[in-house]
Amino acid sequence: MSSLAIIRLILAALLCGASFTAPAHDRHERAPDVGQPTGPSTGYAFALPKPGSYRLPAIRPAAGGSVLDETGREHDLTDLLQGRITVLAFMYTRCGDVCPTAALQLSLLQDLAAKDARLAQRMHLVSMSFDPDLDTPSVLAEYAAAWRSDETGAPEWLFLTAPDHSALAPVLAAYGQVVSAKPNPDAAGGPLYHIFRAFLIDASGQIRNIYSLDFLDPDLVLTDIKTLLLDQEQDQHTAGSAP
Amino acid sequence: MTRILVLSLPLSVRRNRMRRVLLSTAALVWAWLAGQPVQADETCQSPYMAKIAGEEEFVYVWTLGVEGVGDGQDKVVTVDVRKDSPTFGKVIDSDSVGGRGEAHHGGLTDDRRYFWVAGLADSKIHIFDVATDPANPKLVKTIDDFVEKSGGVVGAHGAYALPGRMLIPGLSNKNHDGRTGLVEYTNDGQYITTHWLPTAENTQGAVVERVADGYGYDARVLPRKNVMLTSSFTGFSNYMRPLGEVVKDEEAMKHFGQTMVLWDFHARTPKKVFNVPGAPLEIRWAWGPHNNYAFTSTALTSKLWLVYEDADGDWKAEAVADVGDPAKLPVPVDISLSADDRTLFVDSFMDGMTRVFDVSDPHKPKQIYERKIGGGVNMVSQSWDGKRLYYTSSLLSNWDKTGADGEQFLKAYTWDGKELAPRFEVDFMHEGLGRPHMMTFGSSKLYAS
Repeated sequence: MSSLAIIRLILAALLCGASFTAPAHDRHERAPDVGQPTGPSTGYAFALPKPGSYRLPAIRPAAGGSVLDETGREHDLTDLLQGRITVLAFMYTRCGDVCPTAALQLSLLQDLAAKDARLAQRMHLVSMSFDPDLDTPSVLAEYAAAWRSDETGAPEWLFLTAPDHSALAPVLAAYGQVVSAKPNPDAAGGPLYHIFRAFLIDASGQIRNIYSLDFLDPDLVLTDIKTLLLDQEQDQHTAGSAP
Repeated sequence: MTRILVLSLPLSVRRNRMRRVLLSTAALVWAWLAGQPVQADETCQSPYMAKIAGEEEFVYVWTLGVEGVGDGQDKVVTVDVRKDSPTFGKVIDSDSVGGRGEAHHGGLTDDRRYFWVAGLADSKIHIFDVATDPANPKLVKTIDDFVEKSGGVVGAHGAYALPGRMLIPGLSNKNHDGRTGLVEYTNDGQYITTHWLPTAENTQGAVVERVADGYGYDARVLPRKNVMLTSSFTGFSNYMRPLGEVVKDEEAMKHFGQTMVLWDFHARTPKKVFNVPGAPLEIRWAWGPHNNYAFTSTALTSKLWLVYEDADGDWKAEAVADVGDPAKLPVPVDISLSADDRTLFVDSFMDGMTRVFDVSDPHKPKQIYERKIGGGVNMVSQSWDGKRLYYTSSLLSNWDKTGADGEQFLKAYTWDGKELAPRFEVDFMHEGLGRPHMMTFGSSKLYAS
C-alpha cells in the first residue's frame, strides 16, 4: 500500500464514527464518582476456559459462492473452506473504522497461531471483500501484503473478492451480512454501512461461532480453534474405534 | 475487549509499518469513538445491536390480544413518534400474529433488521421485518416448535441480540415449574442450542451462595468482561394463573425465583449463583467502561439490587434500596437506566408509580422523583439522551387489574432531569388493540441505501 493510501486510511479512520456500532457500550466514559465500584475496568471476569472444556455447537453450514483470489483465479468459496478450520471475516479496503481494527486482530491471530506449527497447518484466515467494484484482486493483493505475516510457520491468510455484485449477493445473504451504501459516499469511515461479523468454520464446513469485534480477541479465537481441533480428533478417534 | 487488547499489545508482535500505524490509529479511533455522543436510542438494548443515531421515529409495541377487543389477537403495534409528523403520537400500523399466546417480551437482531416477539403461553416466536419499511413491520416467520427444538423449554420470554444470533430466555418447562433454559437461534430462526440454568442437582460447576433454583427471566451480557447475568421469575403454573389466586396459595408463593446467575458468556458456563430473593426481573448493565455493575429489582420484596465486581475482582450481589414501601407490595416490574448510568427509572405495577433514583453512587440510590403513571404500569423505555420516556400498562393477562385501574395505555413523557411532562398517550382498548407490553424503537435512517 502506498504512503498516500496509508495517510488516507488514517484520516478516514480518525474521522469515522457515523456508522460505527460495535462499541456502543463504551461511549459514555467518565471519571468514576466517589463511592462507585472500583473493579478492574479491563480484562475478562474469568480466565479463558481450557480448550475442549466447553461446547461450540454447529450454527449452520458455511455457504459457498464464486470468489476470486488475489491472482484473479476463480474458486467456489466452499472448496476453500474444506479441510481446515477457517476464520472468515467480511471487509472492504476503503473501510476506515472496524475493518482495519479487525484486520489488526486477525494479523495478531496469525502471529499467535504461527507459534504452533501443527495448529497453523490446520487452520487459515480468509478476508472476503464486499466491495468488488474497487476491491479487485490486485487491490486486495496490495492490501494483503500490508497485513499478512511473512513468517514461514504462519497459517495461510487468503484475501478474496467477488467477480461482480450478482455473485456477491448470495454469499452475503447466506452469511446474513447486510451491506448498504451510505447516503453520502464521502462519509467518514467509508462509503458502506455494515456490521462487522467474523465466522469460525470447522473443517467440515460448519459455522461454529460468530464474533463481533468485541470478541475477535486472538487468544479467545485460538482457544475456540483448539476446541474444534480437539472435537475433530475425538470424532476421528470415535470413528476409528467403531466396530 | 478489542480496544483493551490493542492498547496492551507487546511491541514484539508489531511487524511491519502498516500494522504499527494502524495499531496506533485503531487505538485513537476507539478512544475517539468512546467520547462520541449518540443522540437517541433505547438504553436497555443489547450492546451488540446497531444503534439509532438521531431521535427514534417509531415505537413498536408488542401487545397482548384481548378477547372481544379488535381481532383479539396478539399484535405488533407501530406508533409514530416523529415530532413533525401529522400522525405524531398515533397508531400507524398494527400487525396481528394469528392468535393469542400471551405476548410478553421481544427484541431486535444485532443488525436491527428483525424484531422477534415471543408468547409466554404458546411459546411461539414471531419474527417481523422492520427494515424494509420501518413504518410498516411485516411478519415474515413464526417459530412454532420452540418447546420441541429446545428440549422442553416452555415460555419463550425475551429475545436478546448476540452476533448473528438471538438468545431466548425461557420461563418454564414441560412440567410447568420454573426450571428453564436459554435457547439460541440464528438470526433467521434456526435452532442452535439450549443452555439449562444451574440447579441444586446439577450446579454445572457454579459456586452457589444459597440455592440454585434453575429459574429464568432476563439474560444480558457485558461483553468487555465476558460475563452474562440471568435473573429468575416463576413457572407457567404461576404466571398463567390469576394473581389473586397465586398470592393466596402459600405453596405457589414458594415457587418464585430467588437467584441470579453470573456466567462465563463465551463458554456459556454458569460461574456463580447469587442469592437474590423475591423474583429478580429486568437486568440493566451500566454502560460506562469503568462501571462493572448491573441493577435489577425484585418483584416480591420491592428492592433494588446491585450486582457488581469489587476491587478484588470478586462479583457480589447486594440489596441497595427499597422501592416504595415494601410492606405495601408495590411490585417493581421494570427498570430503565440512563445512558450516563446516573438515573434509574423504576416502575411498580400495583401502585402504578414510576420512581426515579439518582444512582450516581450505585451502592446508595436516592429517590429524586415519583409520579403516578396510571392504575397500573409495567414497562418503561427511555431514549439514549434521557429526554423521552415511554410507559405501557400491561403485565400478564391474568395479573392485570380490572375496572378503572385496568386501563391499557402507551404514555409518552419528556424528562428534564427533574420531572416528567406528558407528550401524548394512546388508549389501547379504545383503539381496539389490547394490552400493550414490551416496547422497542425504530428508525428509517438505519437502513439508508
